[in-house]
Amino acid sequence: MTQLQDVKGGTRAPLTPWKKKKKKEEVFPGVRSLNGRWGHLFVAPFMIMFLIFGLAPVIYSVYISFFHWDPLGGSEFTGLRNFSLLLADSDFWLAIRNTFSIWALSTFPQMFMAIGLAVILRNTRLKGKSFWRTILLVPNITSVIAITIVFGQLFGRDFGIINGILDFFGLNRHIDFIEGVIPSHIAIATMITWRWVGYNTLIFLASMLAIPDELFESASVDGATKWQQFRFVTLPQLKNTITFVLIVGTIGGLQVFAEPQQLAADGGSSKQFLTLTLFLYNQAFVNNKYGYAAAIGIMITFIVLIISTINFFITRKISNDGTR
Amino acid sequence: MRTSWKAKSAAALAATLAITAGVLTMPAPAAEPVTITIWTFGDVIQRNLVAEYKALHPEVSLSIKKSDLDPLNGTNMVTACTSKVGPDIVAVEVSYSGYWRSYPKCFQDLRQMKTSDANVAAGVEAGLSATEIKKNYLGWRWEHGVAYDDSVIGIPTDVGGLEVAYRTDLFKKAGLPTDRIAVGKLWPTWDAFIATGQKYLAKLSPADKKAGKGFIDNSGTIYAAIMNQGTEKYYKNDGTDTGKLIYDTNPQVKKAWDTTIKATDAGIGTRIGQYTSDWNIGMNKGTFATILAPAWMMDYIKAQAPDTAGKWDIANLPVGGGNQGGTQLTIPSYAKNKQAAYDFLTWYLAPEQELKVFKTYGLFPAASVTYSDPALLNFKDPFFNNAPVGQIYANGVSQLKPIFEGKLQRAIDQAIGAGLGRVAAKKMDAKKSWAQVLTDLKKVVNN
Amino acid sequence: MKTKTPRWRKTSPLSYFLLATITFLSIFPFYWMFVVSSNTNAEISKSPPSLIPGGRFLIVAKKVMSAEGVFFSNALLNTFIVGIAIALAQVMFSAVAGFAFAKLDFRGRKSFILFVVGTMMLPSQLGIIPLFMLVKNLRLIDSLLGLIVPALVTAFGVFWMRQIIDAQIPNELLEAASIDGASVPRIFFSIVLPIIRQSSFVLGLFAFLAAWNDYLWPTIILQSPRHFTLQVALTQLKPMYGLDYALQMGGAFLATAPLLILFIFVGRRLVSGVMDGAVKG
Repeated sequence: MTQLQDVKGGTRAPLTPWKKKKKKEEVFPGVRSLNGRWGHLFVAPFMIMFLIFGLAPVIYSVYISFFHWDPLGGSEFTGLRNFSLLLADSDFWLAIRNTFSIWALSTFPQMFMAIGLAVILRNTRLKGKSFWRTILLVPNITSVIAITIVFGQLFGRDFGIINGILDFFGLNRHIDFIEGVIPSHIAIATMITWRWVGYNTLIFLASMLAIPDELFESASVDGATKWQQFRFVTLPQLKNTITFVLIVGTIGGLQVFAEPQQLAADGGSSKQFLTLTLFLYNQAFVNNKYGYAAAIGIMITFIVLIISTINFFITRKISNDGTR
Repeated sequence: MRTSWKAKSAAALAATLAITAGVLTMPAPAAEPVTITIWTFGDVIQRNLVAEYKALHPEVSLSIKKSDLDPLNGTNMVTACTSKVGPDIVAVEVSYSGYWRSYPKCFQDLRQMKTSDANVAAGVEAGLSATEIKKNYLGWRWEHGVAYDDSVIGIPTDVGGLEVAYRTDLFKKAGLPTDRIAVGKLWPTWDAFIATGQKYLAKLSPADKKAGKGFIDNSGTIYAAIMNQGTEKYYKNDGTDTGKLIYDTNPQVKKAWDTTIKATDAGIGTRIGQYTSDWNIGMNKGTFATILAPAWMMDYIKAQAPDTAGKWDIANLPVGGGNQGGTQLTIPSYAKNKQAAYDFLTWYLAPEQELKVFKTYGLFPAASVTYSDPALLNFKDPFFNNAPVGQIYANGVSQLKPIFEGKLQRAIDQAIGAGLGRVAAKKMDAKKSWAQVLTDLKKVVNN
Repeated sequence: MKTKTPRWRKTSPLSYFLLATITFLSIFPFYWMFVVSSNTNAEISKSPPSLIPGGRFLIVAKKVMSAEGVFFSNALLNTFIVGIAIALAQVMFSAVAGFAFAKLDFRGRKSFILFVVGTMMLPSQLGIIPLFMLVKNLRLIDSLLGLIVPALVTAFGVFWMRQIIDAQIPNELLEAASIDGASVPRIFFSIVLPIIRQSSFVLGLFAFLAAWNDYLWPTIILQSPRHFTLQVALTQLKPMYGLDYALQMGGAFLATAPLLILFIFVGRRLVSGVMDGAVKG
């Protein structure tokens, strides 16, 4: 891989295989003096198990994506047909729309909330620090199925509490959180945000706590306001954390499955709940089209990869702009 | 590790107790012990009958796994059939019958099985194969367990039936008759049913209208009711495993769709989804006055809305007869204990047992020989104003004809249901929605 | 010269209000579960619904534990065993491999880790059928091992451990030890492991939680009721059609209660562990 890149680049000097030139110099983070050959032994247990239980199913799935396979029927080689059918399938694009919509609604507001909460919790004069921090993780320990039942009740169109609260404030809208496209996405995004915002807050809090006080001192000496301090001191230091949270959130968010499936197993009458993974699952386990499902799985992986990469570059650019 | 230490000592204690108990109670000369594994859902397999069978046959233990219907009749059965590892009995719901009838290789042909003498004392003769007991059951319900190649893969437990459960107090308020015979006469046809609904709506106060009250809980339920009253659905049996698709040409489909759209457009339904929490609350508040109710739904209404006792009654369905739900018990081809399973199955599904199930749980027997039993005919339900529900449902189910269900039955039902849902939610007009149904179905039926 | 303006102002009442709201929202669903399970279905179906617990929790709890096919104590035990086994295994495998990726130089290191991270992006639902066939060939269907073995390794765990070790173990420390003549395994067990103990605990805890709440795979693999884990056992509570809210919420509450109790004891450590893992500026 490295060689090809060099050849394409043209102007680079030939590199040794183990050093890749990137935007900044890559330094081997480990300890040179340690005997590297132990490395193979140490990763062996992981690698073996991974190859059997992690990789083998994947390879098998890639293999059957070139077939039309019904486990109770027969199989038939179809080449790239599953992929061409998929790209022409309006349901696939609907699933992409839904997945991205849910992802956007659950990732970005959550990020703002998490950073905001972290700022509040960062304050050394806050009372009850330990308590607030611990509460943040409570949503994480529930099972998705139980939570979906609870939220399903809360989001009921005619008698749900949330609509009840909206009524109380005079917005007699009776939002249909099941049938409406955006409302249904908001419902799912709410469940996801509820579960993860606490966890992400802690991650941001930790990063903020690691920012040396001197930076703030010198900024305030220079006359920076609180907001300026936040923008020019805190945020750049959070760059890596934001990237991490964004990427992990993306990998998870683009694969949302349990919540939509519990609310509407077939994806809903307007397919509003059809996320990419639900689409995959239904094609495999309801329609018995495993080959087609495998093709979907491969597409999902590509999409996640592309979005993660874009995320990575965008956050670097933004925080680079932010530094003085 | 603490946990395994505790587990070990618990196991040791249990073992000691078991051995002691075994020594103290000399077992009667018993037949070979066998464990029958059953996969089921909901309350298809009744606890009290299980206990009864155990008393009859101490050597038999029943290991029952309950699941959600969808993984059970879907993924679980598919993985079991591909890996040839699975239970001895599986309960298959009617909506999945079309699919599994295309795969008789996954099941034991029950015409090839014969009952042993295990249950002779309990009233089940020896030497009975499926062919012999067929006559005890409702013809069209039996067909749900017959594969495309005529092998018998399952025997029915219950039949849902379908009648109209209505609120007498709300009908009275709207100036409609409350006596169930008179109510039945209001709607000999579905158009008359819709017209009655419109009459009901006209009498609603503006406050009620604003609160979203309606005549029927969900007009979408009319579609399935009409489909079951015909003789054909989405397939013709042409002797192949897939069957011949006729969903786009069958006039019954058009009739059912058009009538449902008419009902939706007339606004007689409240659009509340069945089995949601809104629906449960709606039952309590009188948000809707009618529900198309199978027999098993009566217990559900009793549990969710006990305060409405006595305010309901049951009237005949328009046109006559309907069905929603029902189960077949099947024996997979890879089952380990086929004979024991068949003996249990034939006992459990014998008319006497199905009658017992009806009395304790309200599942209406598919064994039609019970319909002449006075216990059934005279059964009245006080919650539903002492309606003779046994008689009403028996009449209803006797009017239906066998309909061939094919492999993609569920998928087609779902696509059409989604189409009706879109119209009800005002997302699309009927024509566009039907066009989308056809496009969706093309994807489903092709590769 | 340092200015004398205080760095931190008193936290505003608005901030406390926000925190209180977050707390309320975090806890409300549990509270709601308890309310629903302690009332009858009929009371739940009233509108507006009762927001106060009824008196029936013990009744419902008893129903759940004695429900047919729900061998609650078995399920609890099974879930514990599976959770602990998976947690321990994941921590060990991930720590060992993570250490190698973080500190040892060996051939293929870069591509390995990239590859491993890449597979994190694959949807897990895809692998169900091939994994099932694999597990069947290993004769692990319907056994707890069928749950444990496929979950022994996790790409995320390795990735996490690599970050942790990279952040928490200074190279100088290892260099000094190696100069003193310690072998790599010795270094790993005596130096690295003690330092990452806290973070390993967190990884293990999250693995335990995930195993506790896992539903899809156990439903497919486990077949005899006595082998069920809690989530699968709870599906036995489902009535034929629709939902039995009181019973199912009661089951869900009972299945979550042990975690809540666990959380009371380890919550603080979990928090510090999460935060330790985050600091990699």
